[in-house]
Amino acid sequence: MAKEGSSDLAKREQRLAYWLLAPTFLILLVIAIYPLFSVFYNSFTNSVFASTAPTEFVGLQNYRGLLSMTIRQVPPRLDESGQPIVDPATGAVQYESAVTVLPREPVRFRPVTQFSLFGTQFVLGATDPNFIRAVWDTIVFAVATVFLELVLGMIVALIVNANFKGRGLMRAIILIPWAIPTAVSSQMWAYMLQPNRTGFFNTVFWYLGLGNGEIPFLSDPAWQLPSMIMIDVWKTTPFMALLLLAGLQLIPADIYEAADVDGAGPVRSFFQLTLPLLKGTIAVALVFRTLDALRVFDLFQIVLGQARYSMASFTYYQLIQNRAMGYSSASSVIIFVVLSVFAVAYMRSLGVKSDDH
Amino acid sequence: MKRRYLAMMGLLIIFAMVLAACGGGPATPAPAAPAQPAAQEATPTTAPAQQEAAPAAPAAEGVINLTWVGPGPGAEFELRKEQVERWNAANPDIQVRLIEGPVSATDRIGLYLQAFQAQSTDIDIMQIDVIWPGDLAEHLIDFYEYGAAEAVAGDFPAIVENNTVDGRLVGLPWFTDGGLLYYRTDLLEKYGFDGPPATWDELEQMAQTIQDGERAEGNQDFWGFVWQGAPYEGLTCDALEWIYSSGGGTIVSHDKVITINNDAAAAALDRAYGWIGKISPPGVTSFMEEESRRVWHGGNAAFMRNWPYAYGLSEGADSAVAGKFDATALPGAEPGMSAATLGGWQVGVSKYSRNPEAAAKLALWLTSVEEQKAQALAPSSLIPTKVELYSDPDIAAQRPFMPKLLPVFTSAVARPSTATAPQYNETSNVFFSNVFEVLTGRMSGADAVATIELDLQDLLGFEVGAP
Repeated sequence: MAKEGSSDLAKREQRLAYWLLAPTFLILLVIAIYPLFSVFYNSFTNSVFASTAPTEFVGLQNYRGLLSMTIRQVPPRLDESGQPIVDPATGAVQYESAVTVLPREPVRFRPVTQFSLFGTQFVLGATDPNFIRAVWDTIVFAVATVFLELVLGMIVALIVNANFKGRGLMRAIILIPWAIPTAVSSQMWAYMLQPNRTGFFNTVFWYLGLGNGEIPFLSDPAWQLPSMIMIDVWKTTPFMALLLLAGLQLIPADIYEAADVDGAGPVRSFFQLTLPLLKGTIAVALVFRTLDALRVFDLFQIVLGQARYSMASFTYYQLIQNRAMGYSSASSVIIFVVLSVFAVAYMRSLGVKSDDH
Repeated sequence: MKRRYLAMMGLLIIFAMVLAACGGGPATPAPAAPAQPAAQEATPTTAPAQQEAAPAAPAAEGVINLTWVGPGPGAEFELRKEQVERWNAANPDIQVRLIEGPVSATDRIGLYLQAFQAQSTDIDIMQIDVIWPGDLAEHLIDFYEYGAAEAVAGDFPAIVENNTVDGRLVGLPWFTDGGLLYYRTDLLEKYGFDGPPATWDELEQMAQTIQDGERAEGNQDFWGFVWQGAPYEGLTCDALEWIYSSGGGTIVSHDKVITINNDAAAAALDRAYGWIGKISPPGVTSFMEEESRRVWHGGNAAFMRNWPYAYGLSEGADSAVAGKFDATALPGAEPGMSAATLGGWQVGVSKYSRNPEAAAKLALWLTSVEEQKAQALAPSSLIPTKVELYSDPDIAAQRPFMPKLLPVFTSAVARPSTATAPQYNETSNVFFSNVFEVLTGRMSGADAVATIELDLQDLLGFEVGAP
């Protein structure tokens, strides 16, 4: 079009286009590019939130503090004769405290997790185990929720796409969880997950003979992530279903009729017609949901507070409670990078597909 | 071409999303010296006596509006609402709007800091925890400039000193606090105990006996001992009591020595871990004050560690324990080693307020002898900071535990907020996070105190020593 425009008209049109774009660009500059630059800038300083303390440039120190990791072997605990001590009850070898094998100079590493490989015990250490755990937990949360929401959302979408009486009403009803503000639904779930029989789940489980009515869903590390995933799946499946439903409705009905005539059953027509035709929609839904899940903040902040962090609630904690503006800016930048990796990966696959068609 | 464009668009969307996630905070570059709002440069000390012109006319013209961030929803908020109604009726020229603050103190300081970072005029008056004056001093007015010297003459000197930063009085003492042991007098009698436990061993034994007995009689939900085990500032208070009452020191001593790594402290934490699932519910690791009080309030606990506010509420008409309980000093490892963490709240006025004089006037009224007496007799039973109220006949009659426990409040153990300022918040976070690891069985007491010591060395750069 205007690219090879040598004519006056084309040039004028091009100038006009720039003028018309200018307000948008200005707004972007003020509300997106300036704050972003500010976050990048702050991530290289030791700036303190809500303070008049002077700010110094500290280079990559914040990033080193967030990301430094190491793996060390944990030796077994030895008795006087040099034999490893074995717990007589469980038969498990006793190991030295992980704290003793991790380096302390020039910066101290703290244990994140221990694992066993070929009979040797290792410890993963990090200078900020909370952040490493937050990144790991957030990624596990994102993968699990997006997968479950996709499967359940697909089922829901297929159901409400079918022709039956009261379909409109059904479509409205399934959206209720999505329509409730997260702050409200999170608090609601926190009440239902109370660690005694004032909580809904503990009461129901207790009547069913599961648990002792005192399951600490929100403070036991083993239950925390599953609880978060459950809440998010409940809340966001409707949104996923809505996105998929929009895609389903674009598929013309006559190809199903043709498939029916050719003798393809419902399962076969789902896998050979619906799924391939829905690929584009699924990819868009996945991009939306994955990026959203990786940024999860409200759910973790409201339900778990400082018991366990997502990447975003860790950043919030560092900024607001710890007042470490530089450090939290650095963690924002890292979130940005993690999201970009996911986004670019998705864009690639999405791009390939749109070229196919 | 098209794909690159798509990728660019994607990145831009993420930009926006990430920025939305980090909130407005990082958007402001390093703050220069905060310019004082012009409105505030008006000469202080002169009392606000300018609004005498039209006493009867409720004209909006000339009325000063103040915003007060109050406590979270609950009994204390009801008390504050009632106070504001009385104030607004008596002072048509200064109208106060009370807003519910977050329940958790950790969230509340976050709210203040966000307002301060923006130098917001939205908040005029706020409540300040006993550990915050050092951290917030630069954003608060000096009450001495508004004639507070006389008013604080009758307060506990230690609290006035705590609230004075570089010679500036940044908070008016409002009510004090100390951890107490609440116990069921009826159940102690029923199971043949003479009085409340003096040591932790006795408490464990009594709690177990009563719990077994009550459960055998059919109360499945009964527990021996409830306290605050969620990872927040309250856990720092509880754990400090366990450790100090076992001879394990105060985490960081007054003369800036990190004293946490000792056997007594490790044993105290292991002891608390041993309670969980035995005499304390597994869910205690998500309890804050109100969660533990609800279990107690319903008559489902023999003992509770809580602040004095629970006293008046437990006497309430809806309480299952009304008339069947008392409060005393917490146990120690040995008799007489009891410790109560010093708590309490102050009133502060934001330096960025448009009407600091009116706000200071309200603050002085709120902390006056009359109002402190009223809040002591209210269901929240808040402990006065005015010495004279401890000999007040009404308080002696209706809140007998206050004069009785005066020594607990005057000798309460302070959290190391002065020695570690301005890094107390992070110090406390290091402490309660590691204690929480012990309570959830991921770390032994000995490992935890060693880790806390190392973390605090990194954070504070202090020497290490014995308590």
